[in-house]
Amino acid sequence: MVSAPLTVVHDSVPALSVVAPLYNEAQNVRPLIEWILQALQSYEGSYEIILVDDGSRDGTWGEVRAAAADPRVRGLRLGANVGQTAAMMAGFDHARGEVVVSLDGDLQNDPRDIPALVAKLDEGYDLVCGWRQRRQDKLLLRRVPSWLANRLIKRLTGVPITDNGCSLKAYRRDLLQRISLYAEQHRFIPALSASAGARITEMPVRHHARRFGESKYGISRTLKVLVDLITLKMITTFRSRPLLGFGIAAIPAMIISLVFAALWVVSLTQFGPEKASALVFPGAGLLAMGVAFYLFMLGLVAEVALNSERGNANDIPNAWEVR
Amino acid sequence: MSAQGILMEPISDASTRTATGTKLISVVVPVVERADDLVAVYQAFARELDTRPEDYEFLFIFDGRFTPPPELLEVARKKDSVRLLRFARAFGETAALRLGIEKSRGDTIITLPAYFQVQPEGIRLLLEAAGTGADMVVASRSPRLDSWLNRLQSRAFHSIVAGVSDQRFHDMACGVRVMRRPVAEALPLYGDLHRFIPALALREGFRVEEVSVPQHPGDARTRVYRPGVYLRRVLDIAAFFFLAKFTEKPLRFFGLVGSVFLGVGAIMSVVLMVQRIEGQGIANRPALLLAVLFLALGVQLMGLGLVGEIIVHLRAPHRRAYRVRERA
Repeated sequence: MVSAPLTVVHDSVPALSVVAPLYNEAQNVRPLIEWILQALQSYEGSYEIILVDDGSRDGTWGEVRAAAADPRVRGLRLGANVGQTAAMMAGFDHARGEVVVSLDGDLQNDPRDIPALVAKLDEGYDLVCGWRQRRQDKLLLRRVPSWLANRLIKRLTGVPITDNGCSLKAYRRDLLQRISLYAEQHRFIPALSASAGARITEMPVRHHARRFGESKYGISRTLKVLVDLITLKMITTFRSRPLLGFGIAAIPAMIISLVFAALWVVSLTQFGPEKASALVFPGAGLLAMGVAFYLFMLGLVAEVALNSERGNANDIPNAWEVR
Repeated sequence: MSAQGILMEPISDASTRTATGTKLISVVVPVVERADDLVAVYQAFARELDTRPEDYEFLFIFDGRFTPPPELLEVARKKDSVRLLRFARAFGETAALRLGIEKSRGDTIITLPAYFQVQPEGIRLLLEAAGTGADMVVASRSPRLDSWLNRLQSRAFHSIVAGVSDQRFHDMACGVRVMRRPVAEALPLYGDLHRFIPALALREGFRVEEVSVPQHPGDARTRVYRPGVYLRRVLDIAAFFFLAKFTEKPLRFFGLVGSVFLGVGAIMSVVLMVQRIEGQGIANRPALLLAVLFLALGVQLMGLGLVGEIIVHLRAPHRRAYRVRERA
């Protein structure tokens, strides 16, 4: 089952890789390519564009194949629809440039921002996040939940990024090799990068309304994002010391059990031991203590899992030389 | 299993060829649970494969209580293309299939039950379909000769699986399948997951086709199992369902169930607290105990989900959810 991400060695390695995941975006492929090529005319280094077809059911792959006639364009077709995060990972794994830029395949991001993002990266950052100005999405369904989620993420992780959901980002390759995204973690790239020791900044980028096709997002994901945030907190804060996380979670349970113990003592002294009602308090107290004990044990299990995976690249935070 | 396949190159046609330059088909026959006259099975299917240009080999894997019949031993002694492997104890069909895949050498692998489930000529239909680009071709017994009871059981099973799969399969219990070697090697086979092979292959990003194959009359008897067998099936389905939906995000499952417990527990606690403030005693109310129990269960489920998330996170660098089918 296990195989390390592969690196493809080619004769000419481009300096910049632009990665765009596509799902049922047949109409958008050609305009996207033209737009990116045009935007990168001013870029002096060599570059490649990687289009990832995430198991589309329309003619997306045919369009990608046609676009790949240009030597600067490469296409990947995935076997099944695996979602935006995994599709982006496919692009990242096949990207050869020292700098990688990701953007949406739906023309809502503006490729003309790419050179500026890359320039910003060269100022000494590992990750530059786009920050969509004048967002062109539905207010209630997209922008309000997104605003709330961003506030929550900032609050929970302390990473000062205003717009986590913007796909237009520039990464240093070194960083991408340290973060392994799965499930729906593309939203948490800044937080996960920060926990890997990356230097992060953001800059304003343009945003356009959708021209073709339909948005693949809906409001139903809000609850899922909330659950994912708990996970995010756990893995960014307690990844290398899970016992501490579970230990902290056990404290309230411990306090509750002590409160019940106190109530029991009070009711015992006030009403005397012959009252059977006093049994409820020790019962509830013991349950709460059981929870505290159980959480502590779970923390130990997590430590075992961690220990069996040590040497994992994710464990070593990134650092840079100071001159 | 995986929502997380392996990072894999597109399936190439580079194949292991035999000395004569023809391709090799490996037929893997797990001898578990039920076996007909194995020599008859071998001869019937070998006759069909003789009509094909490819060379073939047969691997019989004997599980636990089954021993190779002397006639088959005789055949194996005479022919190099028939190999017999034997487990020391019962490991089950999944393990037998895995062993067969590992020990086989062909670039095409056929799995075959140890009894006549389909008519032997069906194998040709499958191989022809496999030649047109599918990564895996599975047989679907049709028309079915067996009783409505069998069919009802099968329908129920497939409807449930269809709920988490992108493609509806009609006969996953049929053990006759043709697959390319990379597919066979990528299948996350363990436990009793052999029942879900087509759905697993689909999840791994392979193209799976179903081909109707006439059922063998010997396969048509009504099957009613002991209650324990049905219980195990239900657990199999539950395991598959969980794996298909939550392997990459266990907290979404445990968190959901846990938050229901937490919610009920919290509401009960609040109600009790209000009643206490209004002057009712709560110390003699078992409801208090129940509320605390629910809260405790909720916290425990959340905790379990988090441990799951930590394990998934730790494995992430080694694993990819996608498979590249084609490049341009």
